[in-house]
Amino acid sequence: MIRMSARNLAIPRQMRPVYVIAAGQSDFRKKYPEKKTEELAVEAFQMLACENRLRVKGAADLRRWIHSAVYGHFADHFGDQLLGEALIHDRLGLDPLGNMGVKTGGATGGSTVWAAANLVASGYSNCVLAMGWERMDEVDTPTGNHIIAAAADRDYETEFGHSYTGYYALMAQRYAATLGGPEFRRALSQIAVKARRYAASNPFAQTSRRITEDEVEQSPILASPLRLYDAALMSVGASAVLLADEETAYALSDDPIRLFVAAGSHTLRAADRRPMEIPLLPHERANPEVLARYARIYGEGGERFPGYTGFLAARIAAYYVYGMAGVTDPLEELDLVELHDAFTISDVQTYEDIGLRPYGEGADFVLSGDAFHTNPHTGLPGKCPGNLSGGLLGAGHAIGATGIMQVAELLWQLQGQWGHFHARPEMWARFGKEFPHDHENLQVAGARRGLALSHAGLGSHVTAALLSRPEALLPGCVP
Amino acid sequence: MKPILITRALTPVHQHTYGGESRFFAGLAEGELWATRCDNPACEVAGLAGHVFCPPRVYCPDCLAPMTWVSITEQAKKTAKIHSFVEMRYPGAFNTLPVPTVILAVEIEGMTTTLMGRLREGTPTIGMAIEPVFETESPSFTILDLSWRARS
Repeated sequence: MIRMSARNLAIPRQMRPVYVIAAGQSDFRKKYPEKKTEELAVEAFQMLACENRLRVKGAADLRRWIHSAVYGHFADHFGDQLLGEALIHDRLGLDPLGNMGVKTGGATGGSTVWAAANLVASGYSNCVLAMGWERMDEVDTPTGNHIIAAAADRDYETEFGHSYTGYYALMAQRYAATLGGPEFRRALSQIAVKARRYAASNPFAQTSRRITEDEVEQSPILASPLRLYDAALMSVGASAVLLADEETAYALSDDPIRLFVAAGSHTLRAADRRPMEIPLLPHERANPEVLARYARIYGEGGERFPGYTGFLAARIAAYYVYGMAGVTDPLEELDLVELHDAFTISDVQTYEDIGLRPYGEGADFVLSGDAFHTNPHTGLPGKCPGNLSGGLLGAGHAIGATGIMQVAELLWQLQGQWGHFHARPEMWARFGKEFPHDHENLQVAGARRGLALSHAGLGSHVTAALLSRPEALLPGCVP
Repeated sequence: MKPILITRALTPVHQHTYGGESRFFAGLAEGELWATRCDNPACEVAGLAGHVFCPPRVYCPDCLAPMTWVSITEQAKKTAKIHSFVEMRYPGAFNTLPVPTVILAVEIEGMTTTLMGRLREGTPTIGMAIEPVFETESPSFTILDLSWRARS
């Protein structure tokens, strides 16, 4: 049983407010032989500098404001290049500013934002570049799966199939048997369909073809019960955001967005996850029905928490960041989320970890229509749309870039700039794509707050980045 | 201009140590399943039931005192059951198991956590009673020296 003290559970503080003011991305592709990673990074930086209405004359001018940089890149194995951070820092013209690399598996992008935000919050830097990338096209897919599975415990777990899909399938199987209910498979399929549908309106996305629930359920089984369309895509891509303190933020931008970031962790060993009492979120603590439900599921002889059905790291990251931002009822207070849907099952689990539904009821978040931009049952706006980018299932997973891409998407949504970056034919043409005739407008009207969850392993590292429009800060947020 | 792609091979050979956890892998080759238990009276968690780890840990994660090795072979034979399972059909590179293979999360009474494993034969169900099979003839000194089958 893991025990946490009151000091362990202290709500994290920022010594001063942190803002996100700009973002830039390459598109995500399965293979990108036309460009070196360095080129993708420079192009993402150019977009960040030149297309976010910053009061600078281009990238060279913006460089005069930047004080340090944090880079996210997960697996050197993919590219056979150690310390690529230094190469890219040089290509961006940022030498001799201080920089560091961050590496936390699938959560690398999120951890990069976490580290960069803390550089601003601490007062070390007034303006920090957070950039991430991954290049997964130099090896074939089985080798890629092995490399990712080397980020499981090599001695005790990797040997069992050399693929993360197997470990997530263990979770899906247990979840289906214990908490899932009859609609569970349909919920997974809807998540896959929704991801591909939204990806089709995202020029940065790797996929553009919509799929049906039948196609998902007929696709090849990778590791039962998970099928091809239940799994994220391996990608090549780069993504960047610019963080700043209040003075710098308003000097550079008319529309800075507040940022709170927190992180949690829980072992790399899928099977060897120590149990803990559920760290309750404020809205659960106040709900006797939920408490009774948890006593039923997790009581004597029942399921372990987090066992194979939850992610302790995600729950802890949510606990911290909600405390920082004053969130007491996530479903009401968040207007959209970008979640780490490495697999459809992990999306369901994460709905519960971050409190959009109680544990065991995650499937309802998608089945009810709450997770959609427009609720398919009512035609009204979805309560808390999820992964309008297409997520990892549709837009792709360029590991070090992914968590930063999520923050970029939230930034543009909260600034009302989604259309500028997604709905102009010029943006599609830039990546050699035709503007789709059935393009959907996925701007969330009046979006005030969004949450991005970046996740590694089977929840070995999770970061939660909460973006809020500054005029919509909640009363309980830390000063 | 078309981009130029070159091919680079990378095949390093690693000599990897199991260090203080070597007893676990030596045990598999001898038909023993070893776990570790915290016996530190000052450990605030060790006194609670279930503070025995398999996979083993050299140091207790709660008090960081060295743990005591305990054989759980008999316990595993009598109480192991399937906590969860999958049929792995598309393994990654370097996989040495047959395709498909049934991968298990194994629950053994008294252990704090589960242990990953594989089912040699039979159709898995959650809760199914299983027993360990040890590769004592020609051990590889990897986790694959341990597998599971339906309890006889």
